[in-house]
Amino acid sequence: MAHDSKFDLPEAPPRDTGELTWYQRLFVPEVLRGLAVTSRHFIKNLFGGRDTNPEVVYRNRQLGNTVTTVAYPEERIPYPVGYRGLHRLVPREDGKPRCVACYMCATVCPAQCIYIEASEYSDDPIEKYPTSFVIDQLRCIVCGLCVEACPKDAIRMDTYEHTPPEYTREGFIYPIERLLKGPPVSYPSDPWVKREDSTQPKQHLPLHGIAGHSTEPVPRAAPVPQGKHHPPQPVFTERDLRKP
Amino acid sequence: MRFAIITAMILFVLALIVGAIAAFYVSAGALGVISQSLFGSASYGVAVANALTLVLTLCMVIASMLTLAERKWSALMQDRIGPNRARIALPGLKDKSLAGLPHFMADGIKLLTKEDTIPGAASPFFFRLAPMLAFGTIFVLFAIVPVGPELQGTEIPFIEALAGAMGVSANFPVSLQVIPNFEVGVLYLFAFASIAVYGTTLAGWSSNNRFALLGGVRAASQMIAYEVALGLSLVGAMMIFGTVQLEVMTGAQSAGLFGGLIPAWGIFLQPVAFLLFFTASLAETKRAPFDAPEGEAEVIGYFVEYSGMRFGMFMISEFVEIVVLSGVTVSIFLGGFHLPVPPAWGVEAWLAANIGSFGLAVVLAVNFVIKILFLCYLQLAIRWTMTRFRYDQIQSLGWKILLPLGLANVFVTAALLLFDPSLELLAILGIIQLALLIGLTILYPKKRASSVHMIEVPASQPAGAQSATSLETF
Repeated sequence: MAHDSKFDLPEAPPRDTGELTWYQRLFVPEVLRGLAVTSRHFIKNLFGGRDTNPEVVYRNRQLGNTVTTVAYPEERIPYPVGYRGLHRLVPREDGKPRCVACYMCATVCPAQCIYIEASEYSDDPIEKYPTSFVIDQLRCIVCGLCVEACPKDAIRMDTYEHTPPEYTREGFIYPIERLLKGPPVSYPSDPWVKREDSTQPKQHLPLHGIAGHSTEPVPRAAPVPQGKHHPPQPVFTERDLRKP
Repeated sequence: MRFAIITAMILFVLALIVGAIAAFYVSAGALGVISQSLFGSASYGVAVANALTLVLTLCMVIASMLTLAERKWSALMQDRIGPNRARIALPGLKDKSLAGLPHFMADGIKLLTKEDTIPGAASPFFFRLAPMLAFGTIFVLFAIVPVGPELQGTEIPFIEALAGAMGVSANFPVSLQVIPNFEVGVLYLFAFASIAVYGTTLAGWSSNNRFALLGGVRAASQMIAYEVALGLSLVGAMMIFGTVQLEVMTGAQSAGLFGGLIPAWGIFLQPVAFLLFFTASLAETKRAPFDAPEGEAEVIGYFVEYSGMRFGMFMISEFVEIVVLSGVTVSIFLGGFHLPVPPAWGVEAWLAANIGSFGLAVVLAVNFVIKILFLCYLQLAIRWTMTRFRYDQIQSLGWKILLPLGLANVFVTAALLLFDPSLELLAILGIIQLALLIGLTILYPKKRASSVHMIEVPASQPAGAQSATSLETF
């Protein structure tokens, strides 16, 4: 059989027997070289600054600064695109949830952490909506199946936040008031857009499935749209969540 | 931005040192005048002032700052940020890390306020005595280090006016050295460094703890082994300079060799002795790579039973020892307070003519402090560059390498001195040795046989295609 030397592994280097060469046995030059390495890092990191902006991944560095520490929480590394963060219920432009209370997410949820109570609008083309939509963040395993299951793109995990700490277990049970936030999303196929009296600009709406999927994280202080059917968002304090 | 801030901070610290040195001279002169009017001799007052300023202020401040520097510098060497979490709850300082300075204060407060425990089975007297022996003997070593040159009281500002007001003469010598004209000189260093062994050994024994005892025994045998090398390495320098007094050695190093081309520093005349002394002094400080007595992973150390400030005294004595041995090394091998320029240039004479003898003295003393700080950095860098030696390696390095090398150095130095008393032959040998060392360090091929073998993968995409997208954002 013809031998194809292309597939040969390169010849193995001589095995390191642990014996020092004459140069290493002199020791002092090796120490000096090691000192040069540490001193080089010292000088670079002492004089070179680095970007401490919490919102950037690739930090600007001066004079070859090689500090790898991220001083959380003053500095942070933004989550990567597609990070499965805290859930949000996607609002429409009028502030109501896109959710039609179909129970798909609650059914598919392997942790059974979603609880929905449905009701009906009398005047809205969507007709059905959740009066109660509760996610128990302690049970949630952040698998993202609810997002995949949702037929109306009404629940998303694009907040780029992780679950914040709470003082009580009750604090981790998120009611609809805490879930409904972020930029509103509409599609040309949405019934309230197709309606006669809709004020939505139909021609500029993006196609289904891409709308609002920005690669940028949602701004932290994004204003939550307030709809007239929904009460203003309550401000939760520690005292509210503490057991009486 | 950071470069400018750091440079400004370094300049600020430098200005602080200049001011402190000038204040040291003035306070030594002032106390000298006062003691002259009280006791008839100025030397008591100068000595007391120097003890307060040099030992308690300069040495202690550098040593305690080194405790912070050790953490901060090691962080920078290891690509970390280092201590920056402690804050001072004062308006304006609340959100400032202040380069970790609050950590140093917090450490001090913690050590001073912690409970002082003494094990029930310990020997109480020796248990209390050990930290004092370890700390005090190291602390007094700085007394022989000549920080600044000798001045007459009349040359220091304000002193002549003060002497006139007190009705005494200002004509007395003031030098930044606690014990000037001390005949035993370096022998004092050896004597007290040997007593420091008792501190560690007693700490290990009196704790009545097996690990502490092991640490104490290790410390004792290591320090005895390296004291031999420490002493032998200086014999050559003693022969060359014909003295054991540090200030006389320093004075002799202001001379020039080869017509003033290079200063007659100990490192040019005795490079081997410099390496031996520096290595032995590293071992004396009991810090990495010679930290087997307190090897955290094996025996916790001779101070394992100590708490609070008693432990703090062992810890701070290590750092004081760094400063002291840096000072001694600078005085013997790195020209003391003399400027690192060829004597033929006449920089010191030019400075004396332009800024006066007091200004020159301050410049020289600051130069000395900078040299000390450089050696402190070197010792810390060595500590963070090298791993701990095994205990048998420590002993064989001390007895089988340093001791014969030191003996050979004594013989070679003596022979060359006998052959050529003008030191130039010694300097030629020394410079050849230094050049050999530097040449070996720089020229030896850096590539070594690696245990990991990489397989060459042909580039599938044109060069530069990747860098245009992702790498440029760095």
